[in-house]
Amino acid sequence: MTQRIQIEAVFIIIHLSFGYVVYPNLIYMLTKTAHWEVIICQALLQLMLIWVYIKGLHYFPTHNVIDIYLKMGRWAAIVFLTPFVINLIALASLNIRIHTEVIISIFLPRTPYWAILMLLFFISIYTALKGLGTILRSAIFIFLFVIPLVVLNIFSSVINFNIHNVTPGLNLPPKFLVDIKFFYLLGFSSFLFLGFMTSKTKLIFRQLFGAWVIVTLLFLSVVYIPLFIFGQDTVVTLKNPFLEAMDSIDISWFSFNRQAIFFGVLLVGLVILTNSVLFWMIGTIMQKIFKWHSSYWIIACAFIAFIFALVVPNKYLLEKYFLWSSGAQAFFMIIIPITIFIYGSWSNRGVRGHEEK
Amino acid sequence: MKKNRLFKLSIVCMTIILLSGCWDIKDINKRTIPLVLGISKEQGGQYKVTLQIPVLKNESQVSKVVTGKGESITSALGKIRTNSENAVDYTQIRLIVVQNNLAHNQKELSAIVKFLMGSEEIPSRSLIAITDENVEDVLSSINDKLGVHASSIYDFFNKGADWAPEIFSTPVWEVYRSLFSSTKDIAVPVIRSGKNTVLIFEGSDILKKGELMDRFRPEEIQLIRVLQNKNEKGKIESLGFASIMVSNSSIRLTPSLKNNKPSLSSNLNIKINVLERNDGVTNKKIIEELERVIEKRFFQVLKRMQESHADIFGFGQEFQQFISYNELKNWRDEYFPELKVNFEVEVNME
Repeated sequence: MTQRIQIEAVFIIIHLSFGYVVYPNLIYMLTKTAHWEVIICQALLQLMLIWVYIKGLHYFPTHNVIDIYLKMGRWAAIVFLTPFVINLIALASLNIRIHTEVIISIFLPRTPYWAILMLLFFISIYTALKGLGTILRSAIFIFLFVIPLVVLNIFSSVINFNIHNVTPGLNLPPKFLVDIKFFYLLGFSSFLFLGFMTSKTKLIFRQLFGAWVIVTLLFLSVVYIPLFIFGQDTVVTLKNPFLEAMDSIDISWFSFNRQAIFFGVLLVGLVILTNSVLFWMIGTIMQKIFKWHSSYWIIACAFIAFIFALVVPNKYLLEKYFLWSSGAQAFFMIIIPITIFIYGSWSNRGVRGHEEK
Repeated sequence: MKKNRLFKLSIVCMTIILLSGCWDIKDINKRTIPLVLGISKEQGGQYKVTLQIPVLKNESQVSKVVTGKGESITSALGKIRTNSENAVDYTQIRLIVVQNNLAHNQKELSAIVKFLMGSEEIPSRSLIAITDENVEDVLSSINDKLGVHASSIYDFFNKGADWAPEIFSTPVWEVYRSLFSSTKDIAVPVIRSGKNTVLIFEGSDILKKGELMDRFRPEEIQLIRVLQNKNEKGKIESLGFASIMVSNSSIRLTPSLKNNKPSLSSNLNIKINVLERNDGVTNKKIIEELERVIEKRFFQVLKRMQESHADIFGFGQEFQQFISYNELKNWRDEYFPELKVNFEVEVNME
């Protein structure tokens, strides 16, 4: 029971980590009015995929995704999961770098970014090496620490709201569904880790549904806070809309006169946990496929990720690569649940047919 | 036993790693923290940046004024940093004063605002003001006044609710927003140095996408604040035969659109206290006179705004539901001049 709550906490934290930095910019590019329609569409699509994923996983109790692919055959595991690992390395490295840039711009303007990168990498690798139990326990800790800050950010920003900056409109033609940017957007919803944690606990769709509702509400707030403060016309000109929104709040009676600092602290917590989950996934996949101890794999892949994060030259390329990797993530989000579902229903039917004879 | 020693050693190592994080930090007593930033442009096209920095040690002087010149604002700020004996920390700037030759030039002003917004050091929540005088004189005048604090220029804009409701305080991010907004313009306060007080509030400049449209006197600005749904509480109004103080106000706007002609009915509710009155003046007379004065003032302001196509009230915001997003871009030129406002004031005695 506790583990399910822990998994839900990880689910929310990972979504927030991806959601805060690039997600709002993509939404503002996709539509000028009725932003909530895009968010809801994305969330519903995600919910559908989660349902398929869990349904597929239920065909194989006590197995996780890697076991299922290995059951299909070693070649299947290599073909499906090795590219996925490469994508995870890229995602981890770019995610940490993008957060580093934001953290530097909030409160460490004179520190070189490799120093911050090293610290963040160090902690998340350490957590990943300690294994799933540590990740899940620290998820609860970070959750209790981060969520009050999120709520504080949301409530303190209300003083600058102007409701009239947003058009609620309903008149949007659904052409954004075929836009490539929508595909990228889908990549921000990461639920694939669920399948790697299932061998001990059975996931229940109803409970994840609660976490999904929270995530959707948080995504709405991430998109709508800058919109309420600045309006669509201005928001598209900003590099980091949420950060600017936090920076505009002036509460002089408060002990800390910058709300953005809270935002920065919150990002540190989010990125550390997210990356330790990504590294842990890499470790488990590689260990099961290539029979080498997972901690070696984690350290090796994290080293590659660190080098990659270090060599990305500028912010423009960083954002471009990040979009690509989240696009690839969206691709795997569709491929992995569907293959597992199809294989599961197929092999299950085979078993049933066999029994009937 | 051996494991325990290893553990202690690793803790010592961690402290060394974490403590080295302070290697590029400058102590707070070795920093110079300016509160007010003045920007002006010289005859030769060079930017001049003036900083007002509180002095902590010297008793006879409350602040010092430092200037730097350069091809751009960044280079001027950089020069101050080079010549300063301490590290200059721009993150605590609370007020930015722009001289009128820059502020009244659309291109220059929008460049400055974009720079201030993009700058990671200068906070975007710092307030902005315009002055007709030389910026340096305004900032240095504080030292001539007796018994004032170094932060008094900033405090001027933050008297708190009820104290001086006509002063507009406009942060940088709001000016930045107005550069792109298609339905709302912005008023930026105009100040000059006073004889006995540090500053004198002269009114507000109305900027439309960074372009100067008009200047309003303090009492007209007051009304604009009310219509933007900010409270008018504390305002003292003299009607000749009586003086009153506004204790509360609220406004309700109901927009409607017929045949592409916008119209707006607005109900302003004001609660007043009578402070003094001449003999024989009834409550009814005070109420009627006040309603007449406010309505007259409103229609004067509206007429001026409609002529210059600048929507300082933000009425266009109310029409977000009625006009499509793309059409709203033409709000100022096509819809706003046609806008009919049914303005009603209701005054209540407390």
